[in-house]
Amino acid sequence: MSNTSVINASYLNLSYHDESSEIIKDASFAINKGDFVFITGPSGSGKSTLLKALYGKLKPFSGELNVGGLDMNEISNKNLQKLRQNLGIIFQDYKLINEWSVEKNVALPLIIAGYSKDIQHTQAKRLLTHVKLLEHIYKTPLELSGGEQQRVGVARALSKNPFLILADEPTGNLDEYSSNVIWDLMENTCEQLNTTVVVVTHKIPNIFSIPYRHLIIENRGIYEIH
Amino acid sequence: MKFIKNHITFILPLMAVLIGLEFYFVFERTTKNYEEGLKNNYSMLIVAHDKVDIEYLQSLNSHIATIEEVKKDSIVDEISKGLKDSSKASLSKILPHFYNTKLDTYLSMDDISTIKADLEKSNKIKSVETFDNSHNSTYKLFVFLKFIFKIFILFIGIVSFFLIFKQMEVWSLTHKDRMNIMEIFGAPLFLRSAVMYRIAVTDAFFSSIFISLVFVYLKYNWASSSGIEILMRNRELIFEFGDFFKMLGISLAIVITSVYLVVSNMKDER
Repeated sequence: MSNTSVINASYLNLSYHDESSEIIKDASFAINKGDFVFITGPSGSGKSTLLKALYGKLKPFSGELNVGGLDMNEISNKNLQKLRQNLGIIFQDYKLINEWSVEKNVALPLIIAGYSKDIQHTQAKRLLTHVKLLEHIYKTPLELSGGEQQRVGVARALSKNPFLILADEPTGNLDEYSSNVIWDLMENTCEQLNTTVVVVTHKIPNIFSIPYRHLIIENRGIYEIH
Repeated sequence: MKFIKNHITFILPLMAVLIGLEFYFVFERTTKNYEEGLKNNYSMLIVAHDKVDIEYLQSLNSHIATIEEVKKDSIVDEISKGLKDSSKASLSKILPHFYNTKLDTYLSMDDISTIKADLEKSNKIKSVETFDNSHNSTYKLFVFLKFIFKIFILFIGIVSFFLIFKQMEVWSLTHKDRMNIMEIFGAPLFLRSAVMYRIAVTDAFFSSIFISLVFVYLKYNWASSSGIEILMRNRELIFEFGDFFKMLGISLAIVITSVYLVVSNMKDER
């Protein structure tokens, strides 16, 4: 593993059941600090499964997977919690807590890390300004449109300045305006904070202003397109 | 409204359990008190050839608590009216000794028959009168009431526990999404379940305080004017300060166990 490697996979096999139903087979790749990576592939190819393995929801079936210096095969519950606290994760179905306010949803990673209420409030306000949702700070997610909810999800992912952002089809169901806000925000985060971003998507956006890498999942393998 | 609904659905079954529990405490105290009364009012009559003392009778059966010898003079006076003094003296000599005996606890007729048999084995004792008719009917009624009441409390308990299980299912559904999301972002188990513990512990305190207040009211306001003699006589037994802590302890144990079961069923499926 190189010194700047944030993710390193070697002969990685992923399966929900057994060897015969492997979704990813013998995949080897490395993602370095500051990389912006798109992972594409047809539906059911294993894009979301790979993402689950990256945030520790799915244990590798065999092979090696290292995220943030931690071996995902041997990771303890405590270390897994620490790793997840330092990731920013964005889901296609937003995964917001509907009983909580927008502010509290954005501050969730800070709440978990034990930051003070003042810091939670300041950071939530700053990020909601960036995603152009400050006027909705005290609403609940169910009072927002799909695009607005996803922008809240993005703000939440960025609230604790994670070293790695994992996004699963972040603009899959969104209108053009919301999609552009989200891509701009992720580009800026990657460029200005040197954060690593891994985006699983069907389609790479037409206009993208920073350099990026493109990995494709095909026939259970992962390949880089240059 | 949602806040009230969240709490009330758990508070009601919890209060039902606590009412059953407090009734049980009250009934145990009342029955103990009643048994004490029955025990104190009950005595056996021992007729003995020779003088006996308490140690001797206790060596025959350990349930003997006290004995009191019935003075022969009054019996002789009663049956020897018109006789000479010398005849009275002879009569007094041939009369056996009579003892009123009390027991250490309230016993069933079977136990009393055993005591009678134990005592009558002795050569010094001529006979034992147990007055079993009145004792037996009181005792049977008492045991029957105790049984009915315990069945009633058990029934309340079972129904309440079913309601609590139902509420646990509701909790699972209500909190599952939130807990899963918090888990994805690395929240430890105590933080994920903190909301549920907070609700449950609040409900435990509220239920215990509410039921205690109801019984305090019954004790100080209602019992004395109820017209029910046994309640008026035993008002002090209706609620004791320690009951609050017993109810609080038991309700906390119930809620903590309930939340733990819900949370442990939601563990990471990694």
